[in-house]
Amino acid sequence: MPSLFFPRRLPQSVRLLALGLLSVLLSVLTQGQGELRTLALDAALPVQWFNSRTEALWGEIGGSLHSRAALEAENAQLRRALAAAQPLLLDRDVLRSENRQLLALLDSFPQAPGRVMAARVIAENFTAGNQIITVDHGRNDGVFTGQAVLATGGVAGQVVTVGTMTSQIALLSDLDSSVPAQSAQNDQPLLVNGTGNPQELQIPFQARNTPLRVGEQLVTSGLGGRYPPGLPIGTIQSIRRNGTQAFADIKVRPAVALGRLNTVLLLWPRNQPRATNTP
Amino acid sequence: MNALLLAIGFFLALAGNSLPMGPLYLALRPDFVALLLLYWAITSATELGLGVAWIIGLVQDVVDGGILGAHAMAAAVMIFVLYAGLGKVRNLPPWEQLFFIFILLLLERLGAWVWQAWGGPIAWNFALLLGPLTGALLWPIFVYLLDRIRHQLRSA
Repeated sequence: MPSLFFPRRLPQSVRLLALGLLSVLLSVLTQGQGELRTLALDAALPVQWFNSRTEALWGEIGGSLHSRAALEAENAQLRRALAAAQPLLLDRDVLRSENRQLLALLDSFPQAPGRVMAARVIAENFTAGNQIITVDHGRNDGVFTGQAVLATGGVAGQVVTVGTMTSQIALLSDLDSSVPAQSAQNDQPLLVNGTGNPQELQIPFQARNTPLRVGEQLVTSGLGGRYPPGLPIGTIQSIRRNGTQAFADIKVRPAVALGRLNTVLLLWPRNQPRATNTP
Repeated sequence: MNALLLAIGFFLALAGNSLPMGPLYLALRPDFVALLLLYWAITSATELGLGVAWIIGLVQDVVDGGILGAHAMAAAVMIFVLYAGLGKVRNLPPWEQLFFIFILLLLERLGAWVWQAWGGPIAWNFALLLGPLTGALLWPIFVYLLDRIRHQLRSA
């Protein structure tokens, strides 16, 4: 508390105000400083290393506690899932070759997904607004800011910070995340935004009489060039038209279980000479 | 408190805040850094400076990879409210501090949340209350354990 005997010492409230100003300045000035973010991420390396050790240990303990029966049940379930997926895979190959032929007709190149690298999640920095995970690959492996990240089911997010050996990925559910998308049923361009909740995304700015329907699949549209087109984002879960609001309130269930990621795929787009070879 | 002990404590707290342990842990985990800050502020003989709390919050921002200054400011505000408005809480037994700890943890979480959502849309989520709630419920155990550790080290 401020004292008359120490006139040099500022009252608490004044100090709080000064710290507040400092925080605002820091927040504003450090936004979008890639080098600084890399430095910060490298500084956090000891904590992340500790985390990955703890997680591995936890996994071992959990693994040894798994009973034989549970493992057998899981095995049977995985077999069933594999069998169910097999025809789809065949289908996909057929579709892909058909697509390639059609695109060749259009004098275009097929959009191959490109090279991928699997990365392990070593930390989940989930606060109410930030949905960020840290993975064990960084600049040394050629990871770059803005890189698309996939996971089982579809798109998971994009790289926001690259450290030397680690990098951080903002998930689709991050409050700042926004992905250009389109419905698989019609080709109207949309955005899918994060809400801060890993189980829910939303589509902004759709009029109340939107043609979108519950249950429609959303895929990336490829606009902006960050994500290749055609990757699954999620399914429309609900469309609500509230009282006097101009826009419909549309919720989307993400295709990827964003809250429980263990492994993700970093995607390197294939070099596309298409843009340069136009006469 | 011993500086080394504090350093180890905050390291573990930072790690505990970002352990990838699945969705249940994610929803329920209290903010360990804020808990440790409160413990430090309540038990230390001299007042914990707002600047110190701010710097520890900043370290958390760095580790989280979020916007710099969000947790820093939230931690400073939390400690300010503890000293300026809830001075008497320091003299209560841990069981009776529980409710105040909940309020302070909630203040810290909401502060950081509003800061991070700056300029964007804010969607209220009742899950925001869970972390501070478990934090407050764990508080007496937390205090007991840390007191024991400190006592052991002092007598050793």
